Amino acid sequence: MVLTWLTTVNLELSFQSVIWGFGDIIDYSKQYLSPNFSEFLKYVKLMGQTLAIALWGTVLSLIVSLILSPLAAKNISPHPIIYQIVRELLNFLRAIPDLVLALIFVSALGLGPLPGLLALGLHTSGFLGKFFAESMERVKPGIYEALKATGASFFQIAMFAAWPSILQEVAGYTLYIFDRNVRVATILGLVGAGGIGLELSATFGFFRYDQASALILIIMITIIVIDYLSIWLRKRIS
Amino acid sequence: MSGTDPIFELKHVAKRFGKSRVLANINLQILAGERVALVGPSGAGKSTLLGLLNGTQLPSQGEVWVFGRNLARLSPSQLRQVQRRIGTIYQQLHLVDNLRVIHNLNAGHLGRWSLFKAVVSLFFPLEVETAAQALFKVGIPEKLYERTDQLSGGQKQRVALARVLVQNPIVILADEPISSLDLGRSREIMDLLRDMSEQTGQTLIISLHAIELALSHCQRIIGLRQGRILFDVPAPEVLPEMVEALYRIENARTEPIQKI
Repeated sequence: MVLTWLTTVNLELSFQSVIWGFGDIIDYSKQYLSPNFSEFLKYVKLMGQTLAIALWGTVLSLIVSLILSPLAAKNISPHPIIYQIVRELLNFLRAIPDLVLALIFVSALGLGPLPGLLALGLHTSGFLGKFFAESMERVKPGIYEALKATGASFFQIAMFAAWPSILQEVAGYTLYIFDRNVRVATILGLVGAGGIGLELSATFGFFRYDQASALILIIMITIIVIDYLSIWLRKRIS
Repeated sequence: MSGTDPIFELKHVAKRFGKSRVLANINLQILAGERVALVGPSGAGKSTLLGLLNGTQLPSQGEVWVFGRNLARLSPSQLRQVQRRIGTIYQQLHLVDNLRVIHNLNAGHLGRWSLFKAVVSLFFPLEVETAAQALFKVGIPEKLYERTDQLSGGQKQRVALARVLVQNPIVILADEPISSLDLGRSREIMDLLRDMSEQTGQTLIISLHAIELALSHCQRIIGLRQGRILFDVPAPEVLPEMVEALYRIENARTEPIQKI
């Protein structure tokens, strides 16, 4: 209780203003009730760009983790030091928020979808790499031993035993990451990294809540559709 | 390599896992072309011994010499060169279920193939002819493109055998290859293994529970008990008392409890 009170004071939260400002909130919300779809085509194009950023970001992270995961799986990694280094690299990628990565890439490469794609791809490589590595560690050890006993090299073991054994997990995790990337890609535009987010922040800047409302609706519908699509796909895979 | 040189030579070999001693003071020579059965109760160290022979495990003490080379002294790539000439069949088979049979068979080539060739083969199967012949020899030629998880236990056992055929090694090690099969199937698999080694002169070392099949299909029987060699004699010289002694010790542990 004391802690809650202290944090409330610290953040200058005031429940009074919530109650007294209630009328204003209602008023403000009303402005969203009449979405303005006059620039519908432009919005759909931007949404398409957002989806493309998410898709290619996912592909990038799939490619990166294709190489890194076997190195980060304890039971097949060629050397304990390599294992540690790659593990730490994956932790590092997960630790930097993708928005921060996007800011860095925007300042390095300029505005546009490319920095967004790179940011998503690298950040989620940290996730996929770790997920896949752990799936590979759960594969029955004998499957690796059998190939090692024929004289197969590390990369051959990765290609012939590790990856084929975790195909179902790969599909499931990748769909989940794509799903997540679509949601994140919508706000990447806020830092200038392409997609529908830039337009959204512009409409707020000009107090065009009717247009913002239309954009939010388009984003919501897209995310819901993708959600259902990935549920359907995951069912088909398993 | 002439027929008199030992393919395997173990000198004072011991193996420990943590504190438990699995093998102790093993001295052993196996010559080219021999068919050897390793018999003994569960936990006697048969699988560990096979692991030492194919280089997937290193001894805690002593030396393992394979094809005249001390395994502990080899670089990883030299070890791979030795390993590609040793084929191993496992009790649990260790096939990749998600792959089609052809790829599980082609895994036998990995010791010889470059990474590039291996990756290409996953998408466009290479050396299909060799794989098809191997599968024909084990009696299921029609399963070449089937997914491995669609096969029955006996069919998977045959795929595991065919993988070793594809590898075409100088030595075949088999770790209880028939323990999950019924008697009829067991005999078929043992016949296949014996014929393979007779036709090609391959050395065969096989660990078994079924002592009758060991006697009928192998020339030399090595009895292992609690990590030590109890006897190592030609098959015709194995006496019932020896077999009894091999397994009796294990029973003695549990019997007193039943008697009380």
